[in-house]
Amino acid sequence: MQVYLPIAEMSVDALLLLGIGLGVGFLSGLFGVGGGFLLTPLLILIGIPSAVAVGSGANQTLGASVSGLLAQWRRGNVDVRMGMVLLAGGFAGSVVGVQLFAWLRRAGQVDLAVSIFYVVVLGTVGALMVRESVGAILDRRRARPARLHEHLWIHGLPFKVRFRRSRLYISVLPPFGIGFAIGVLSAVMGVGGGFMLVPAMIYLLGMPTSVVIGTSLFQVVFVTANVTFLQAVQVGSVDIVLTLLLLAGGVAGAQFGAAMGTKLRGEETRALLGALVLSVAGALLWDMLRVPEQLFVIGPAR
Amino acid sequence: MRGWARGAARLLVLLALSMPGAAAAQAPPSLAAELSVRRVEVTTAFAGGEILVFGATERLIGPGGDQVVVLASGPPGSLVVRQKVEAMGFWINGPAARFNGVPSFWALAATSPVEELLAPPDRAELRLGLDVLPVVHLGARGTQFRDALTTLKQEAGLWVDQVRPIEVTGGRLFHARLPLPSTVQTGSYPVQVLLIRQGRVVARQELSLQVQRVGTAAQIADIAQDQPVLYGLVCILLAALAGWLGSVLFRRG
Repeated sequence: MQVYLPIAEMSVDALLLLGIGLGVGFLSGLFGVGGGFLLTPLLILIGIPSAVAVGSGANQTLGASVSGLLAQWRRGNVDVRMGMVLLAGGFAGSVVGVQLFAWLRRAGQVDLAVSIFYVVVLGTVGALMVRESVGAILDRRRARPARLHEHLWIHGLPFKVRFRRSRLYISVLPPFGIGFAIGVLSAVMGVGGGFMLVPAMIYLLGMPTSVVIGTSLFQVVFVTANVTFLQAVQVGSVDIVLTLLLLAGGVAGAQFGAAMGTKLRGEETRALLGALVLSVAGALLWDMLRVPEQLFVIGPAR
Repeated sequence: MRGWARGAARLLVLLALSMPGAAAAQAPPSLAAELSVRRVEVTTAFAGGEILVFGATERLIGPGGDQVVVLASGPPGSLVVRQKVEAMGFWINGPAARFNGVPSFWALAATSPVEELLAPPDRAELRLGLDVLPVVHLGARGTQFRDALTTLKQEAGLWVDQVRPIEVTGGRLFHARLPLPSTVQTGSYPVQVLLIRQGRVVARQELSLQVQRVGTAAQIADIAQDQPVLYGLVCILLAALAGWLGSVLFRRG
């Protein structure tokens, strides 16, 4: 069934969009990531103009994250205090990130910079997660006692606050700094940043995996709302018809994902997310290295 | 098809009026052409369409006789064509050429290949051919950019160069079908119908087609353009609402 998208100015198969929404929504609910790092490349792949893919992708991620967040909220897996600290850092970071993006654009080669950012960040995050979680699964098999979390230099900083849901008593500086760094990266890469936030909360802050997912979704909801608004006002590239079609599949997928997530152990979830992130990095790297099918591309004149 | 039938009826009336018996002193027109629809409506179910041009000539159409050429074009705009180049094993965006005044849509059809009907200078003057389109080329030089523009536009179905000839019925009635892909821009589409006899244009008719968004698609596009702040907020609220609705529905289920 063909549907015409008024902002993208083209028609696409509605069932294809529902399917993409379902798949990405499932991952979103399972891992607590927005799924923007998967959705935006997929939309570009089916021929949606890239500006519309970024703007509508953020808007879809917002809806899917609200759905996932509510599912996690009912299970008591959201640390609001931690989310607020991350969010404050995230907003500060995204302001800096937008400036960095503008600077990269002026210097030319913004596409290359974004691609390299993607490959390096996704590759590093994915590899670390797979290594750690496979190690944890092997340790479990050998029945070694696992520590609750490691004590690093990060835990010795001032301004300590008690994060009850996360069972942590740490300084606000590390979460603020993580939020800031991810805000910068997500502004440059045009994604919510959940796939970076989840491992950062687990490995750098030592939060339990169950709380991490809900808290990450909390942060993603606000970041994507901000991106949607800025894209709609400054670029005019948010296609609400595209968003709602993706969401129809996405909200269902997110619920299945969240239900599935409760059946998996933390380290298994982490291993799967790591493998997913790593394979996206691999696909993007391959895309940069192989000989392109079209040596020329048409783009809008700026 | 209904539009075609209605248009044909209108044309018959037109022809009947121009018959020698009907209007004694008037010479019959050498060319009469019409569009099956004057307006293509882009709704939320729009999946492309076609421009159907039909008409009749006074004399017989065929080799040695009259020939008909139809040219349709869409609103012009600017485009950038980028070449990908290899640097240290990576394929990156290399030199770019900017083109101004590029027709967003362009379709040509004729009863015989246009190259055989007109001498090159006449063909260039009438802009009947992708090779003689007057586009302004800025930035990186080289014919490969212009060639790439033509190839990519043709692959997207937005530039159509004599893919299907004009069909002739009974020697004097003709009709041309020009495909409109779903990616066409909205706006005014001038359609020219030319009658060519012995290498010269002896009659021409200028028609116009409007491609317009209507209904929900039009309202969404208008609000997004005129009220971007409101539109952004509505998008956020709708997405959040859809998310909430999904979570409520699935909790019950």
